[in-house]
Parts: sequence; C-alpha cells; structure tokens
Amino acid sequence: MSKIAYIKPDSVGDAIEILADKGSSAAIIAGGTDVMVDLRSGEITPEYLVDISRLEELKGIRMENDELVIGAGVTLSEIYNSDLLAEYAPALKKSAYNFASAQIRNIATIGGNVAHCSPCGDTIPPLVIHEAEVLLSGKDGQKRIPIEQVATGPYRSFLEPHELITAFVLKPRKAAFADFKKIGRRKDLAISRLSMAVMIDKSDDGTISFMRFSLGACTPTPHRMIPVEEFMVGKKPTEKLLFEGGRLLAESMIEITGRRPSIIYKEPAVQGLFVRMLHPVVN
Amino acid sequence: MDKESVRIEFTVNNKEVALDIPADATALHVLREMLSLTGTKEGCGIGECGACTIVVDGKAVNSCLMLGAQLDGRMVTTVEGLATESGLHPLQEKFMEGHAVQCGFCTPGLLMSSHALLEEKENPTRAEIEKAIAGNICRCTGYQQVITSIETAVSERLDGENR
Ligand SMILES: Cc1cc2nc3c(=O)[nH]c(=O)nc-3n(C[C@H](O)[C@H](O)[C@H](O)COP(=O)(O)OP(=O)(O)OC[C@H]3O[C@@H](n4cnc5c(N)ncnc54)[C@H](O)[C@@H]3O)c2cc1C
Ligand code: FES
Ligand code: FES
Repeated sequence: MSKIAYIKPDSVGDAIEILADKGSSAAIIAGGTDVMVDLRSGEITPEYLVDISRLEELKGIRMENDELVIGAGVTLSEIYNSDLLAEYAPALKKSAYNFASAQIRNIATIGGNVAHCSPCGDTIPPLVIHEAEVLLSGKDGQKRIPIEQVATGPYRSFLEPHELITAFVLKPRKAAFADFKKIGRRKDLAISRLSMAVMIDKSDDGTISFMRFSLGACTPTPHRMIPVEEFMVGKKPTEKLLFEGGRLLAESMIEITGRRPSIIYKEPAVQGLFVRMLHPVVN
Repeated sequence: MDKESVRIEFTVNNKEVALDIPADATALHVLREMLSLTGTKEGCGIGECGACTIVVDGKAVNSCLMLGAQLDGRMVTTVEGLATESGLHPLQEKFMEGHAVQCGFCTPGLLMSSHALLEEKENPTRAEIEKAIAGNICRCTGYQQVITSIETAVSERLDGENR
C-alpha cells in the first residue's frame, strides 16, 4: 500500500489550512508533470499530496483594472489558445508553442512552471518582460512579489510550505514586436539550455522607443537585462547594433554566471540567438 | 479503507467504474494493472515517449504523469475504446492499410493523440498533425506513414460528410 496520502481541498483557503497543518511533509500537485517525475525518481518523498488541479479559483485569464491576470492553474494549452494573451502578452503565448508536447501542455500549469524554480522554465522570461507580480496566499494572508524573487536559486523557492501561488499579474502591452526563443538539444520535448523573451516598440523616426528583455535557462535564476535595454533604446536598430547588443548581453551573462566551461558554447549562442530573434526589427 | 487509499469513480470507454486505489498510483497503473486495460503502454514513465497517452475529457494526456486519483469524475478513453461492435475505428484501419505499424508498441499512444486531434479539429493541416504527435516516439516505423495515415482518415471523413 502507498505511503502517501492524497488530499483534494475544495478551495484555496482549505488548501492553505492543509498545507499549514502538514508543513514540509506535504507537496502541492497541480498538473503533476514535474511532481510525478520527481516522485518516481525519489527526488521528493512527501507524505501528503495536495491536489490543487481542480480549484476553479486558480483558473482563468482576464483583464482586471488594466492588469492582465493569469490564474496559477491555467495550462500551457490554455495559454497558447488565449486571444487575450495573443494581444497583450504575445511572447508568453509563443513560449507555450514549443513547450514539451501536446500531452504535457494539456495538463502542465503556469503556476507549476514558476513554482518548480527550474532555471529553464519557459514561461518565466515572458513573465519577466511583462514585469509580472506573483500573488501568494498563505496562512498570514496574501502577498504580491516580483516574479524574479520567486526563485532564490536553481530549484530553490522563496515560497513557504504553506504558501500557494494563486495568480500572476502582468502589465499588458500590445508591443509592435514580441518574441520568445529557446535553444534545446532537439526540436520537440527539449528542455531549454538558453531562452529569451523580448518586446520592442519603435518611434516614428525608426528608433527603439521601448524595450524589455529577459534571459532564461543559462543563469541560475531569470534576469531582466536592463543594461541591454538601456543600450538599445533611443537607437536605430541596425544589424551592427544587434551584434553590439548581443555582445553586451553575453558579457552581462558572464558577469552573473562567471566563466564556466560551457561558456565556449554559450557566449556565441547567446549573441547569435539575440541577433536572430531581433532581426525582424532592423529598419 | 485506510487513509492511503482513495476511492475514485470515473467513466472509461463509456463504462462507469468505481474502485479503491493506492494514493500514489499513476493513472497508467490504475488502467493497466487494476482494470486490465493493457492496450495503454508504459515506455519511459516520465512523459517523454507518449506510449501511455490516453484521452481525458477530450484531451490527450500522458497517463504516466497523472495520478490515478486525478481520474475521479472524468471521462476517459483508452485505445480499447476506439473500436466499436461494427468494426475498427477509421484511424485504426488507416494505420493498418498505411503500414503505420511495425512492432506496434507506440501505436496505442499515436492513435490516442491523433484521435484527440480529430475530435477537436475537422480538417487539421499536416503541420497540426505533426505538432499533435510530436510527443509520441516511434522507434521502428518512422513518422511519414503515420502522418499520411492520419491525413487519409481526415480526408475520408470529409468525403463521407460531403456525400
Ligand atoms: C517530458 C517533459 C518535457 C518538459 N518540457 C518542458 C519545456 O519545454 N519547458 C518547460 O518550461 N518545462 C518543461 N517541462 C517541465 C514541466 O512540464 C513544467 O515545469 C510544468 O509547467 C509544471 O507544471 P505542473 O502543473 O505540471 O506542475 P506540478 O508538477 O504539479 O508542480 C511543480 C512544482 O510546483 C509546485 N506547485 C504547483 N502549483 C503550485 C502553486 N499554484 N503554488 C505553489 N506551488 C505550486 C509543486 O509543488 C511542485 O513543486 C517538461 C516536463 C517533462 C516531463
Ligand atoms: S510512458 Fe508515459 S510518456 Fe512514456
Ligand atoms: S512501431 Fe515500433 S515503436 Fe512505433
């Protein structure tokens, strides 16, 4: 017989009470695409599985007071099929397109992707460029923290055992250009080795007037690359500028990670992917 | 019933079932070992091969990544549910005619992924077919015959409707 007990709370409040009571002996399960793998490998050994996959409170994508709210229980398939996201957070929608497989996208949630704190979570760079805040509910009430603070390191989370992500709040933006790209070992089911998300607007004279850029997977936690944004804004996007921006990006990455052996591959890859991704904005 | 077992009730291939399962059992385990629906296969056990694909509430999912307890209240279709008394499902027929099966280990999963696609989309493009089966690995046949067989099933269904 199983050593694990299964609990299905009826509400977020109910879930928090259970989590507070059981402490670190409980694990939250949403889509289960990380949890089931970690259970099988023995990576985690919880006594209780708290199933939040059917909580209606965690579902839905909506606009609320000019903010874009995405429930933690929204699946990657729902993200890909959302018209609201196509309009106001297109890079996030794109990150769902090459995410795992159809079977996994149908159950994997954005909340699980972020809470897992894997450096390679594909939804994280798009959330970063929309300056997303994470809504947490716990026994002490609700909190709102910036997305970049959720992971304190690879697979290490800022969340307390009794805390639940309920939603993400994004700054919506219909940018003229937005994209997400990743490099993995193969085309399908590839875990990202390197990922990036961007949004750009240009003024009438063709110079970049607004830019948000985030790098994922190759740094221990996600990073908005403000020096790169500042360097690009106010300039006309030429090929030369993209190469310079890409070099600055690679240097900023090395500043964060230090010179590791994989840098021989990653330095040109970061620059190359940056140039390729931004090429459509060249005048 | 001890606390580590869970009572679940769901519909599988149009039949209602109710049973007590271990809390940590996967949906795959429940189907294969407890309900003897062994058409669904276990390949990798970690979401990478698609051999365990089933359709839950109209969506293709990996049963190895789902808790059995999460089947409660759901409508499930496995490969055993495709054929009817009047014969094989059109996808199964086209897979046979189109030589889309060699060892057959991947076949139930590929059938379920393509079945979910055909239930959702009337006339999927080749790119949509490729995308729908990207999570199903086949080690012997390769994918061309599979994709062509699915396309044939789609076009024959459209022809049938237009007649
Ligand atoms: C074959 C395969 C391919 C994959 N490919 C990709 C890929 O291309 N890109 C990518 O980014 N990921 C990929 N993944 C990883 C995984 O699918 C994602 O991280 C997924 O989004 C996790 O969501 P989930 O709902 O399944 O989470 P679960 O497995 O249910 O949970 C993940 C973690 O988050 C916690 N958790 C879940 N929901 C909440 C919440 N609301 N509040 C607090 N904690 C919570 C859980 O306790 C657990 O620690 C892949 C996984 C597999 C098996
Ligand atoms: S056995 Fe489930 S995906 Fe391989
Ligand atoms: S027919 Fe053998 S794995 Fe596909």
